[in-house]
Amino acid sequence: MGLAQLSSRIGNVKENLKQHSEVMKKAEAEKVDLTCFPELSLPGYSLKDLAYEVADDCETALNTLARRTVDGQRVMCGFVKQDRLGLIQNSAAIMGYGKVIGTTSKFFLPTYGLFEELRYFVPGNPKTDLRIFESDKCRFGVIICEDAWHPEPIQVLARLGAEVIFCLASSPARGITKSEPAGELPIESQWLSLLRAHALMNNVFIAFVNRAGPEDEEFFWGGSAVVSPAGETLARAKKDETDWVSVDIDLDDVKRARRFSSFRDYRAEFHEVLRDL
Amino acid sequence: MTPELEEIVPRELQINTAPVASYLTRRLASYITEYAGRRKAIVGLSGGVDSAVVAYLSAKAVGSENTYLYLLPSSSTPEEDMEDAKAVVEMLRIPEKNCRLVSIDKHTTELASSLGKRQDRLTVANIKARVRMILLHGFASMLAGLVVGTGDKSEITIGYFTKFGDGGADLFPIGDLYKSQVRQIAAEAGLPERIYRKQPSPALWEGQSAESELGIDYPTLDRILYRRFDLWRDEESIAADLEVPLSKIERVVEQVRRTQHKRHPPEIFKLSFRSHGSDWRYPREWG
Repeated sequence: MGLAQLSSRIGNVKENLKQHSEVMKKAEAEKVDLTCFPELSLPGYSLKDLAYEVADDCETALNTLARRTVDGQRVMCGFVKQDRLGLIQNSAAIMGYGKVIGTTSKFFLPTYGLFEELRYFVPGNPKTDLRIFESDKCRFGVIICEDAWHPEPIQVLARLGAEVIFCLASSPARGITKSEPAGELPIESQWLSLLRAHALMNNVFIAFVNRAGPEDEEFFWGGSAVVSPAGETLARAKKDETDWVSVDIDLDDVKRARRFSSFRDYRAEFHEVLRDL
Repeated sequence: MTPELEEIVPRELQINTAPVASYLTRRLASYITEYAGRRKAIVGLSGGVDSAVVAYLSAKAVGSENTYLYLLPSSSTPEEDMEDAKAVVEMLRIPEKNCRLVSIDKHTTELASSLGKRQDRLTVANIKARVRMILLHGFASMLAGLVVGTGDKSEITIGYFTKFGDGGADLFPIGDLYKSQVRQIAAEAGLPERIYRKQPSPALWEGQSAESELGIDYPTLDRILYRRFDLWRDEESIAADLEVPLSKIERVVEQVRRTQHKRHPPEIFKLSFRSHGSDWRYPREWG
């Protein structure tokens, strides 16, 4: 798999498409099966009112990118989806066979601190957006950023059969403190802890693909990573700058992990309690 | 950290200065060159810690050859401040042609006299800050550079700056660092000790001292602001924690409230469906 840690320009889909195409060439040359871009990689993240204006450009760009996919290759990227007029979503497209195979949309739209996604986007529907996609070699699921800060999306995808979860992210750097190891932001340690916990609890590979670089006041810290079902970090991209990292994974790790854990155990009563709170 | 530095940088505000400085350098470089399409940083150097750190970051970001430092003293500027400013110029190896010393007295006097026979101290002080702003933007315009502001988070938060004066810059790279943290960066970057240990002062009139004017020292001010606004704590618990009279905490918080207008663009009264400020919400970087 390949992690394409880009720095997109806000609202400039055409320019961003060029960056995507460059990465696709690399992926093709390295015969990478699964290539993933960050959240809202085509239009940029901090769109504000531009969110209403980029959907058409995104659709055109997606079709161009999808046509470039070659046999066996799957490519995931972030875009603004507008299936019905006035209802836009923060979505990921899954491409292969020269076309867009499917999409999924973000379930948890953050609206705290610097985030204001729910002002613009309609949340994804778990009943239709939790989907398993297949390549020649594996089954995988796709989630978007904040969805990893809740237990359910990854849990459901793993139980639906995903061996790999791609998490498209746009995580901005924030927080300065002495308590963290030098050079590591609190948000970075938090993300890595989350990824390991999800990987361990759900016995899946997790590929976290973050943005890098500035967007208005924010700055995305990059540091994309692949974590194994045993919680090991198999690959890390550079921090703060654009990067491309490709890594081989062994899907037998998933099989083994699920035999030597309580993966099979699920108790619906917990969710019944939660529902009634 | 040395015990001497601990005195001016409260423990809870201490940062890992190397990654913070490198982050700010990177941001400054990308803002000036990629976002604004310019190459040069224009900084007004006062001899204080804020402008020394901004000059240091600018030189790292766009290079000494693209950093332009202006010493703009008035009759109320202490001689040692200009000496300290010159030490910064030397330390950062800024080419001589990139530095100028311009006294602002004649401009200030002329402008102030246009206001009438008698002017109060604060009005003249603000004229000084605005004259500096005009000159810095003039230099920036001639050199196709950006005016890199020197405001820190402590001063921005309590509104201790002149609107359209030192508040009138193109960007504020250290605007999210409290004064104590700026001092820590200065100390660990090896800037002259006298600069980061001295009593901060805008030097807008003779003998002006920020701490006596505010009635509080910067480490305490920073600890109050950090607790009230970063940690969302209530005023009573802050007073108890810092062993500072509640009235002092209330005065600081009141000053933050009173100066909120200084941290916003001027108000536009809403008439249309789409007004700048409330529902015209395009990103700064646009395409």
